[in-house]
Formats: sequence, structure tokens, C-alpha cells
Amino acid sequence: MRVLGIDSSGLVAAAALVDDGRLTADYRIDHKKTHSQTLLPMISEIMRMSECDPGSLDLIAVAAGPGSFTGLRIGASTAKGLAYDGDIPIVPVSTLEALAWQLCDNEGIVCPVMDARRGQAYTALYRMQPVWKSTDGADSVMIEELSPRAADMGDVIERINALGERTIFIGDGIPVFAQLIAGKTEVPYRCAPPWRNRQSAAALAYLGERKYMKGVSETADTFAPVYLRASQAEREAGEAGNVTYRRMTAKDAAPAAALERDTLGREAWSEAQLKEAADRSDSMYIMAESGGRHVAHAGIRDVCGIGELGNVCVHPDFRRRGIGRELVSRLINPGEGLCEGDVTLEVRYKNEAAFMLYRKCGFEEEGVRPGFYADPSDDARIMWLRRHRDA
Amino acid sequence: MSEKKDITILAIESSCDETAAAVVRNGRHVMSDIISSQVPVHVKYGGVVPEIASRKHIEAITGCVDGALKEAGVTLKDLDGVAVTYGPGLVGALLVGVGFAKSLAFAADLPLVGVHHIDGHISANYIEDETLKPPFVCLVASGGHSNLVYVRDYGVYDILGQTRDDAAGEAFDKVSRALGLGYPGGPAVDRAAREGDPDAYEFPRAKIPDASYDFSFSGLKSAVLNLINHAKMSGEELRVANIAASFEKAVVDVLVEHTVRAADETGAKIVSIAGGVAANTRLRECMGKACSERGLKYVHPSLRLCTDNAAMIGAAGYYRFIAGARSGLDLNAEPNLPLGDRERRFHGNMGKTREGAQ
Repeated sequence: MRVLGIDSSGLVAAAALVDDGRLTADYRIDHKKTHSQTLLPMISEIMRMSECDPGSLDLIAVAAGPGSFTGLRIGASTAKGLAYDGDIPIVPVSTLEALAWQLCDNEGIVCPVMDARRGQAYTALYRMQPVWKSTDGADSVMIEELSPRAADMGDVIERINALGERTIFIGDGIPVFAQLIAGKTEVPYRCAPPWRNRQSAAALAYLGERKYMKGVSETADTFAPVYLRASQAEREAGEAGNVTYRRMTAKDAAPAAALERDTLGREAWSEAQLKEAADRSDSMYIMAESGGRHVAHAGIRDVCGIGELGNVCVHPDFRRRGIGRELVSRLINPGEGLCEGDVTLEVRYKNEAAFMLYRKCGFEEEGVRPGFYADPSDDARIMWLRRHRDA
Repeated sequence: MSEKKDITILAIESSCDETAAAVVRNGRHVMSDIISSQVPVHVKYGGVVPEIASRKHIEAITGCVDGALKEAGVTLKDLDGVAVTYGPGLVGALLVGVGFAKSLAFAADLPLVGVHHIDGHISANYIEDETLKPPFVCLVASGGHSNLVYVRDYGVYDILGQTRDDAAGEAFDKVSRALGLGYPGGPAVDRAAREGDPDAYEFPRAKIPDASYDFSFSGLKSAVLNLINHAKMSGEELRVANIAASFEKAVVDVLVEHTVRAADETGAKIVSIAGGVAANTRLRECMGKACSERGLKYVHPSLRLCTDNAAMIGAAGYYRFIAGARSGLDLNAEPNLPLGDRERRFHGNMGKTREGAQ
């Protein structure tokens, strides 16, 4: 099988050819010229040097994102144009996975970091488990510990500290966040060496072939980049209050579980748990949508006349807009909500923002449960909304 | 001598908010013409959002090209070349078409020709009138461009005049928004103006000293916006149709006056129009009337060929192709691409143009 790998998601332009498992060409440029000027000439050059005709490709693996929006599209349009004539399958590979896969022989956590601007990083966490006593250098298992996202690097480092294992950072975002990494990382860490700390089309091609074998395949028509971020205009339209609320049902469990995974960490419920909870007659979940996207939800359960509030999560792009408060208000509103009695909840002691939100909704702190939370460990505040305090 | 071989070009256009692909034979015969419009997506933002446009282009590009080839009943093997718009336009949008065209041409081993978007608009007239040959004068007016051009030869242009500020179509969009007529402004103002009195208001027509073919629409736009604001403040009722019609008349008067004067002074016998604003009902009529009064031949593209499309890129690409122009695999998008080397040379330099035209 002949695989062409393409990555133009970041500062580096990269192209590689893998022929029946052999890396026959690997070309990487980190220079000012735009990818539009470099990428196709590079592909042309490696094909010429390896005497390979574009029609002889069996597979095109391309960096699907995240990354520079324009860079991703240069890679995507190039892949599409190459794939169209011969109906060559395109395999989209996460930019972050491909970055991490270069370190597939390192036991521990790998954290790819790309500069996402606006003070954020495109990042994820992978647990690498190389298989020992193997003659295959790429024989390794990669487990996603934190899904790809645009996030504050400080939050990600907290997650790294919670995992408590040695970690390797990789990617062109490291110089941007070097101070933060050095200042906040509490586990043993290091950064990948210069010759493998940028996007590698070779690693991407190998990973793409593995994915293809597992059935991942797109066409020149269906493939589209994964940006992880809406365009600025869409974000602003969302900020203008374009958020709608409705009752969450079992059908919403998949996006709800994804949001919980991204925002609640170890406290996240599984899709199955959320599906069950949304259908229960003693529970009620309300969700917020913006542009057809599930951006927040929260739920309440009636336990013997006392309401237990939980699963409150708001997508980071939609915070500080009163969505959390709106959800909680609706859930505890005696007319609209499920429960007429007192309501209780637990919240991480260090989560000041949530504490303030619940205070505004009428909850008071009545106690602390020491060591209630793990990863990272924290106490829980116990808060109550007493409806009949003065009665 | 052997019979002249047909030249078949696949053309791709993605400079703004339309993803388009077409197959054109010999620069004149359109075998297919596919347009995937994003206008409905941008309506709610009141204008084209570049990042959204780019995202839509990457989703639509393969389907458009596939549709164009299938509708034309050809495969890549039947083609002689690939033409693509590489500027001017939105850089992120252009890059999608350029990236796709380049790698498609590379994979299919076809020559690649980069085309100037305005060259495309002007060349739409070659499709409209198969007998049209340079020299002629062409008014190009769209959302992003306003040029008065002397077409010396195929793809060889002398820019007689250009806008100093807003493009004509841009003025339409802004006035439309102020009048609450929505986006896109061209068709909205056109529709509203039909019900209105074009002489209800007298709006200014800018004259630019030392460059009498240049345009300026920002003063006109401001005058309209001031009128609307003033009426709002004083609670005066305004007839939207009258403002639309008077504004439209002010724009069209200037466009027509400049164009026929250019024909007189260059000695051109043919006048044509191009670009999105060429779809305006009043402009089409008034230009036709002015031309017939002076005995000038008047060519104007059908409505579909006025707005962005790939057929026009195929026409322009054909003439670039037979002139021997070829682009490399490093072809880049150029958002501010000038129209040939001549774009900045001409300002009131008529003598030189006339001489060259002989």
C-alpha cells in the first residue's frame, strides 16, 4: 500500500510517502513561505524523487485539524484535488494525534500543544503504551486521556498534574506556553527534541494507514477539516444571545456526554448514564443550544421531596453569559422545575465561579465534605436552597 | 493545414461567496456551468463572512468540479487545461480553488492557468456574443470592483478609471442595509427602485479632477445615509422606493456617462458591461440607450454571467492558455492582484492609449 501523508496545519509544511510500510520520502519545511507555495511543490518533488506517479497512490492521509484554519484548508484542498481523479480514499488524521504518535515509543503521557491564539492552545492528552518485545517500532497503544480542544493551557496542566505521571510536551505551541509549562507542571516533564517536535507527515501517514485498516475512510467530496472552533462571526452571533433552552431527552445523550467529558473530567457521566437519567420520571434535564450545537446542560433529581442538582456544565466558549444561571433558575423554579422542596448540591471547593453562580441562585453553603473529589483532589462544598427558611 | 483542435478548459472560481466550476470549449462555448451559492448562509450576517465562506468552499469544491465534468460529459483526459481564479478576492476563499486546481492539474498532468477574476468578468462577454472581438470598452462593476477598461486585445487591458473608495456594488449593499432592504443589496435596491421616483432626490455625482474616469461612491453613500438619519431624527416619513430609485439613478448616471465618454475618446465602436452590478435593470437599460444614441454596439452578459461564475473564468483562461500562459505548482492566491501590469499606469493618459489602440 502506498500512502501519501500531508500536514499543513501549523508553521510546518510536511509531506511523506510510505510504501508497504517503508518510509520512502519525508520532506518537512519550517520557513516563512506560505503552504500554498510550498506544499504541492514538495509533494511533486518527493513523487519525482521516488519515481511515483500520483495515480499510483492507494491512500492520502491528511491532517484534519485542529490548526490554522487556512493551513488546514490548503492541505484539504490539495488532498481533494489529488484524490479526485483516481477516487483515492482520504483518511483524516487528528493533527494532535499525529503529533503525539511521533512519541509512540515513550511510556507515559504525551501532550501535543499548538498555538490557538487568543491565549489558548489546541491540545489533548494521550497515554502512550509501547508494546515491549516487539520488532515493530510503531507497535504501541495510544489512549486518549483528554479529547482535542481549544483550551487554556493552565487548565490542561492541572489535568496533567492530576494524572500524576511523567509527561512529554510536543508541538510549535511550546515556545508560546513555555513559562506556564515550567511554572505550573508538577509532574516530571520534558519536551520532544527539535527534530521531532513539529508536525510529521511520516507519523501521520503511518497513523492514517492504521486508521484506514480500521475502516476510517473519506472521499475527495466528503472530507472536511475539523476546526474545533466556530468562526469569529458565528461566535459573536452566539454571544449576541442566540441561545435557546429546551428539555433534554435521551436523544441528546451523545453530545451531552461529550460536553461532560470536556468540562467535568472524572465526574463526567457516560452516554448511557445520561440517556437513562434524561428518561427518568424523577429527573429533569434542561439544555442550551446555539446554532444547533449542544453548549450547556444541567439536571435535577427529586429524591424523596428534596431536589439534587447536578451535571451543571457549560462549554468554555459560552461561559460568562448567564447560561449556567438560566439553567439552574429554570430547574429550581417551582412552576417550571421538577421539585417544589429544598434543593441541594455539591461543588468543588476551588470552583469559585460555580460557587458564586449558586449563591446568586439563592443557595447557601452549609457544610464541607473533605476530600470528596479526586483528579485533582478537592473538598466539596455542600450547598442548600431552603425555600421555607422563614416560614 | 490540419483542422484547428478544440481546446477544452475546466475552470474553477472561489474568490468570494460562490463556489463554481465550468467546462468551456474554445473560450466561447459553455459545456457546463455549476454554481454553489452561499448567499443564504451570509444573509444573516448582512455580508460575506470570509471564514465561513472559506469553510463552505472546501465542502462544496469537489461536488462542483464533479458536477461540471459530468454535465459536460467529459473526463479529465478530455481536457486541455485547468483554469483557476487566483485573485483578487478573499484570500482564504481563493486558496481553496487554487489548492484544488493545482493538485488536480498535477495529478491529471494538465497545464494550469491562473486567471484574474476581473479578466473573467470581462470575458463573460465573449460567451454572450460569440462574434465579440477586442478592442472595446468595458465597464466592470461589482461588489468588490469598479473599473472602466479599454480592452486592447484578449486579456490586455488599459485601466481608464477605477474607484477611489467604495465599489459600486458595495454602495448598493450599504444603502440597501440602511434602507432595511437586506443583503445582497444589488437585487434588493433594484426591486425597490422600480416602484420609486428616480427624481425624488438629487444626490451628488462625484467628479474627480485629473482623473475624469475614476469613480467615487462614498460621498453618494454618505448623502443617502445622512438623508435617512435626518429623516429619522425629525420623524419625517421617507419613501424607501424613492430613495432607492434616486440613489440608483445617481450611480447609473455616473457609470453610463464615464463609459460612453471613454468610447468616444478611445474611438472604440463597442461597449460592454460586466460584474454583478451589470445585472442592474436600470444600468442595462440606460447603457443600451446611450449606446444606441451614439451608434455604438452594446454587449451585455445575461444575468447568470454577470454574477460570479466559473464559465467566465473558462473563457478568460482559454485566451490566457492559447497565449501560452502557464502557472506553476507554487501558484498562490493574490487577494490584491492588479489587472495586468497596466492597472496603475493609466490616469488621464489618453493619448498613449489611443495610439496603442491603432
